[in-house]
Amino acid sequence: MGAQQRVYKQKIRSAQGMKKIFKAKEMVAASRIAKAHARVEATTPYADALTRAIGSVATHSDEISHPFLDSERRQSGRAGILMITADRGMTGPYSHNVIRAAEQLANTLRDQGKEPVMYVVGRKGDSYYRFRNRPPHRAWTPYKENELPALGREIASVLTADLLAEDDSTHLDELYVVGTEFKTRFLQNTKSIRMVPMGLVEAEQGGPRPSFPLYAFTPDADTVVEELMPRYIESRIINILLQAMASEHASTQRAMKTATDNAETQIRKFTRLANSARQAEITQEITEIVGGADALSGSGRTER
Amino acid sequence: MSALDVTFVTADRTVWTGEAAQVVVPAVDGSMGILPQMQPTLAILGTGTVRIIDQSGHVEQLAVEGGFVSVDSDVVTIGVDDARPVESADSRI
Repeated sequence: MGAQQRVYKQKIRSAQGMKKIFKAKEMVAASRIAKAHARVEATTPYADALTRAIGSVATHSDEISHPFLDSERRQSGRAGILMITADRGMTGPYSHNVIRAAEQLANTLRDQGKEPVMYVVGRKGDSYYRFRNRPPHRAWTPYKENELPALGREIASVLTADLLAEDDSTHLDELYVVGTEFKTRFLQNTKSIRMVPMGLVEAEQGGPRPSFPLYAFTPDADTVVEELMPRYIESRIINILLQAMASEHASTQRAMKTATDNAETQIRKFTRLANSARQAEITQEITEIVGGADALSGSGRTER
Repeated sequence: MSALDVTFVTADRTVWTGEAAQVVVPAVDGSMGILPQMQPTLAILGTGTVRIIDQSGHVEQLAVEGGFVSVDSDVVTIGVDDARPVESADSRI
């Protein structure tokens, strides 16, 4: 076997090895999407109940006030950005999309004269900022998939504390969340959401408003809102984290599918090249033999 | 008699749904009983036990710590951080 053939064979073998890895990762991701999505679904009833409760408090008592509802929050000029990226690589464009969206948002905020403060979840986002020598204000990494609700609670408590802080060096005027929304396993969107100050949905104002009953609040409206707001933030953050996790798996699956397909193309290509190299070698050998025989017969010698 | 349509959810799952005759929740300012036809209420929960009593008198007990309950035309929604079932010697009233 010639040197050329040997090189091609080697390349085919290495592509085959990689293909196996990609295929395995793809299948792992595919199996995890369903689980992650089920987790997202499981948090929906609670979030819905909470949203309804807050909505009804807000529509009824016009006199309620809460720092998170105040649309003119100006104290320190700091705006928090919670960015949710992946811990692992091989997730295709997932983390980069989020980072890009967060950077865009940060630039917009800077243009508005605010100082963006980064809160990062995931190793990819953390290392992005560290590498550029502007480490994030706070980073949670690495995280475990099955501890996301606990992580969400921790993040929510840190952010709520910073939002309500008196001290100007830690106080946040606004809070944005940049994450990935999981629509279906084929469609995920990178999204930036403003979490605080909360805008009450005014869209329903024009049409007939849902007739929320006049609630009696126990102990009173202000206490109820005060108690519900942090819970709402918490449940939103947990929900966003879980959606991001599901999106990460979906993105991984897609990236690995492409990688598997690419490996297959490579294998096919090198197989063709190896075949033609082998054929060339055979052809050459035949030509040499025929040429040698011709040369012998042409020399006029009859016996060997 | 009408019944209460109860949904009991925690942050990451639905614990209990169904019809009940009476629900007792530990509001921050004292235990609160919820019966059908109650006026719409939104209450914050303290620490204690949520008791859901169904039509046949069977009692479902869950220990909770903080949360909220909303009552609105016989639809009761209880949302808490975490709920643990309580083993009770007297599960029938």
